[in-house]
Amino acid sequence: MWVLFVLPGVLLLVLVLGFPAITSLSYSIKAEEAEAVSYTVSHYAGLLKDPFFTRTFWNTAVFVTLSVASHMILGLAVAMVLNTALPAKLLFRLIALLPWVVPDVVAGIIWKWMYDPIYGALNDFLLKIGIINTPVEWLSNPKLALFSVILVNLWRGFPFVMLILLAGLQAIPRNLYEAGAIDGASKWQLFVHITIPGLKKMIVVALALDIVWEVRRFGLIQAMTQGGPGILTEVLSTYTYKQYFQFFRFEYASAIAVVMTVVLLLVSLPYIYMISQEE
Amino acid sequence: MKTSSFFLREFFPKTVLWVFLIALCLYCLFPFAWMLSTSLKTEAEAFRIPPTWIPLKPTLYSYIGIWVRKNFGIYFFNSTVISLATAVLSTFFGALAGYGFSRFFFKGRRFLIGFFLATQMLPGVLLVGPYFKILSRIGLYDTRTGLIIAFLTICLPFSTWMMKGFIDKVPVSMDQSAMVDGCSRMGIFFRIILPVVAPGMVATILFGFLLAWGDLLWALCLTSSEPMITVTLGIARTVGEFRIIWPMLMAGSLVGGMPAIILYIFLQRLLVQGLTAGAVKG
Repeated sequence: MWVLFVLPGVLLLVLVLGFPAITSLSYSIKAEEAEAVSYTVSHYAGLLKDPFFTRTFWNTAVFVTLSVASHMILGLAVAMVLNTALPAKLLFRLIALLPWVVPDVVAGIIWKWMYDPIYGALNDFLLKIGIINTPVEWLSNPKLALFSVILVNLWRGFPFVMLILLAGLQAIPRNLYEAGAIDGASKWQLFVHITIPGLKKMIVVALALDIVWEVRRFGLIQAMTQGGPGILTEVLSTYTYKQYFQFFRFEYASAIAVVMTVVLLLVSLPYIYMISQEE
Repeated sequence: MKTSSFFLREFFPKTVLWVFLIALCLYCLFPFAWMLSTSLKTEAEAFRIPPTWIPLKPTLYSYIGIWVRKNFGIYFFNSTVISLATAVLSTFFGALAGYGFSRFFFKGRRFLIGFFLATQMLPGVLLVGPYFKILSRIGLYDTRTGLIIAFLTICLPFSTWMMKGFIDKVPVSMDQSAMVDGCSRMGIFFRIILPVVAPGMVATILFGFLLAWGDLLWALCLTSSEPMITVTLGIARTVGEFRIIWPMLMAGSLVGGMPAIILYIFLQRLLVQGLTAGAVKG
């Protein structure tokens, strides 16, 4: 009986998602311009020799690590503040959520304009309060570009972590803190021994989903820099897109995408395992 | 629920908390304020040095311009049709599968649940290449239908999860009493379950709508002609133009982001549950 309900969804998923995924996998091992169908690992070997890929991979690692770490820190801080007795708590939560709800492209474009060295608001603001003396080239200075993009991604991504950790904080019973305080635990000890263990599951969920999303992040970077200057803000998703649709190297692009997929599945394995065990 | 409040109040003095909150609001809102301000400026004013923070002579010129001079009407229509169709389709199939996962404990259930979860992790760039080739071959490249099919890949796994969560909350005794009355399984699903979870279905449709609405990658790879492109792609293309008219672009971004902002405000309560596949009961 269950087949009637589950099968349409499963079939549809296999058709629209499984089939293209397998196709991509087979592209990635297909020999280019071969007469007969023959298979090769040359595309994967080519990745290792491609300095652009190596650089892009490195950029992605920096982008994801710094983004996720900063999301976690700011997200936890905001969640803890919003978990206190505050007036207008819902309003603050809504305001903190705004950067996250607009489409990626919109977020990227707003910041591209904020960052504009001459006409943008950010430099004007920093000049006025005296933090900088000359306009900063946020997105075209090679040393700064990737970090400027990460700074935008902090703005964009922390609300999601905040939401999840807030839900987790609200589930920690208050009397645990009271009991700890009676036993003479310091505030720091309460934080380390009650708050953090209480949030463990939420932290796993937030970490897994955030890493997956940041690895896949596309629209934000495409709208802001398109990977430039040079390839300094190029990440795996924008690089794969370019290989496909600007250089039409389908086999090579597929190989990059497969590498990305493997990384993503490995990262999300603990999360997938945890959820399916609970079911 | 003020669980850890006493702890925090002692940890940070009240003034520190408020300074933090005000800085946070500034950080979150300032870019939006800048977008709004620019969208109300004339083009000449947007390029003033130093920039004006509040428009000297606010004008709605750009807001009219995006509909009259640019094809925003077409983009909006496309995005709405595509996102809505995707959302309704995936919610329907998601509800079916969700009911199956919620009520039947069959062999391989865990595996299938893991499969649905894993599909959510695949990067879009793994799929766009084959989609481009397949859709071109069957004549669906650069069509709304093609994009709807592609968006199912994002929306279906997620809708299944969300619908399963809502159906889990409906007591099994409702199914059982209907069965005693001679109702078939399909009858139970359509006549008992769906009406009960109708609010959940609406929420799932809206979330699916937003997922599709916010996409750029798929629209960029699978559509190209002006009559077929979506709001996000329309905005992204403007950035690539030789001379960017910022007030117009900001007005477009604001209007294009509005549906998302409004819907999320309504959906706030369900947000956590919806986006974490039920891992976190909101």
